[in-house]
Amino acid sequence: MRKNSRLLIFIFLSVIFNFASLTDSYARVYIDITSPAIRKLPLSISVTGPVEAKEIEGTVKNDLEFTGIFSFVDQDVPGAEVTAHLEVSVSDEVTVLWSVTDLIENKEVFRKKYSSSPKSVRAIAHSISNDIYNIITGKDGIFRTKISCLIHSGAGSRGLYLMDWDGFNPIKIVSAGLTSSHTWSDDGRFLIYSSERNRQWSIYRFDLEDFGETPLYSSPGLNLAGSVSRNTVAFSSSRDGSAEIYIMDTDGRNVKKLTKSFGIDISPVFSPDGAKIAFVSDRGGTPQIYIMDPDGSNARRITFEGSYNTSPAWSPDGNWLAFVGRKDGKNQVFMIKFDATGLRQLTFAGNNESPSFSPDGMFLAFDSDRDGQTGIFVIRINGEEARRITPKNTRATSPRWSPDIK
Amino acid sequence: MKKISLSILMISLMFFAAGCAKKYVAPPPEPKKETVKEAPKTEKAVPKEEVKEVIVPAEKIRESDAAKKEAPEVPAPEDASAIFRDALFDYDKYDIRNDARPVLDKIASYLKKNTKVKTLIEGHCDERGTNDYNLALGEKRAKAAKDYLVSLGISAARLSTITYGEEKPVCTDHDESCWQKNRRAHFVVTEK
Repeated sequence: MRKNSRLLIFIFLSVIFNFASLTDSYARVYIDITSPAIRKLPLSISVTGPVEAKEIEGTVKNDLEFTGIFSFVDQDVPGAEVTAHLEVSVSDEVTVLWSVTDLIENKEVFRKKYSSSPKSVRAIAHSISNDIYNIITGKDGIFRTKISCLIHSGAGSRGLYLMDWDGFNPIKIVSAGLTSSHTWSDDGRFLIYSSERNRQWSIYRFDLEDFGETPLYSSPGLNLAGSVSRNTVAFSSSRDGSAEIYIMDTDGRNVKKLTKSFGIDISPVFSPDGAKIAFVSDRGGTPQIYIMDPDGSNARRITFEGSYNTSPAWSPDGNWLAFVGRKDGKNQVFMIKFDATGLRQLTFAGNNESPSFSPDGMFLAFDSDRDGQTGIFVIRINGEEARRITPKNTRATSPRWSPDIK
Repeated sequence: MKKISLSILMISLMFFAAGCAKKYVAPPPEPKKETVKEAPKTEKAVPKEEVKEVIVPAEKIRESDAAKKEAPEVPAPEDASAIFRDALFDYDKYDIRNDARPVLDKIASYLKKNTKVKTLIEGHCDERGTNDYNLALGEKRAKAAKDYLVSLGISAARLSTITYGEEKPVCTDHDESCWQKNRRAHFVVTEK
């Protein structure tokens, strides 16, 4: 049993396969993604091999297109500055021997070989996307990361799922109870989540290494998972009557209360450096986003527009908060700087909730009912290229983007 | 101390309400459907072969299913269903409305006569808020209903609370008449 689950993790989470870097001589960054005006890099991709080659090519193009920094040029048409060539062969294993050539300097800058079980074709493709993204930008790609979310089935039940960043390969990890808020540990090794079972909301931990669940915290009232920073979990509990923010260790010990107000204090999220906690409070009469120190002191309000601002998510660089604001009767995703300036709206159609940053800070996942059933979407942080990644007939909510999983 | 001041507030609000009571029209009783909850279960492991075959469930939540209660309900005496009506709330509010007082007053006098009856108060919200905040809001609603009953002399030990936020709507249309039905404190008799 345990062996089986380890094998699953091996396949699902890390899909570690054989690879060999044959050449790795690129030094130049083709696109500086930190510059305000990004030009698109003309790229062509050619593949040879059986049907798996087409799936790999499609997956790589889908990944790279989403970044908005590539323009794809047909192989037979001049104009590409960089070209990638993939030779795919399939026996017991799928093997991809591939290279990247700088067409301006007319020089091969990269050569690598991946091989693995045929089940991991998409994982190989995502790894190739990461490599190409890294060659062009000098940054790590997010194409091997995961997104967790809640998928609702009939009978009012739902499960906590993990899937690839593009919505493929969903697997259910928790089906017991009514699972609600959930969050990744910052090393990607476990998730913390809340679940209602036998009329009690408790906080649980799910370890991805052994696929095991551990109850972490329960008390009379509502206990909701917030976020994890290193060895500390922030959460909310109404054990003393009204919902307040608490912290505890990741094993459930050393519970400390941080806030004290008559109203609702929920949804604590650590800043990436762990030095601040953003949370939601209705202490001012309506739900708004606040920031405080991790000992509960120096709380100050961040959002002032509108009367309903909830669900904060901290950007990986620590400069921005994404949140859900109610505007003209609908919920929309906004971003604001942690110093309460720079407010901007990212979504405009339908209701859009539960924003979560990709680990590189370039994208957000959220749920939306903009074109029917509520499903998971990903978007660039400039608001472009919203893509639904779950099937249209599936009700899916509350995405949480994983950290980088090495 | 907080509880005492809350009770004083409640009582003074009651006097205020008595002075300007509106005509109360009782909402029709809602159909209740109960089911026994499954034992908690975690998927410990998914065999390797199954990974590719996991299919995302496609069914939508159906209204009747979504309204199911999780725990077994003890059937209340015959006349109880007319007593245990929902107490309704305003959008994003958790204070007891004037028109909810007669509902809760009837429940209180029923509980005084039937001293063995215990109830679970479920706090619910409409779909418009965000999930976590609605869970917190639903809890406030359930507790507001509980505090009101306690202020009328009902023992807190007979009143338990749970929040379901927006997770278990009785009505799934996207309009105010439906939202109003969902913003409720709902009573489930757990012991009689």
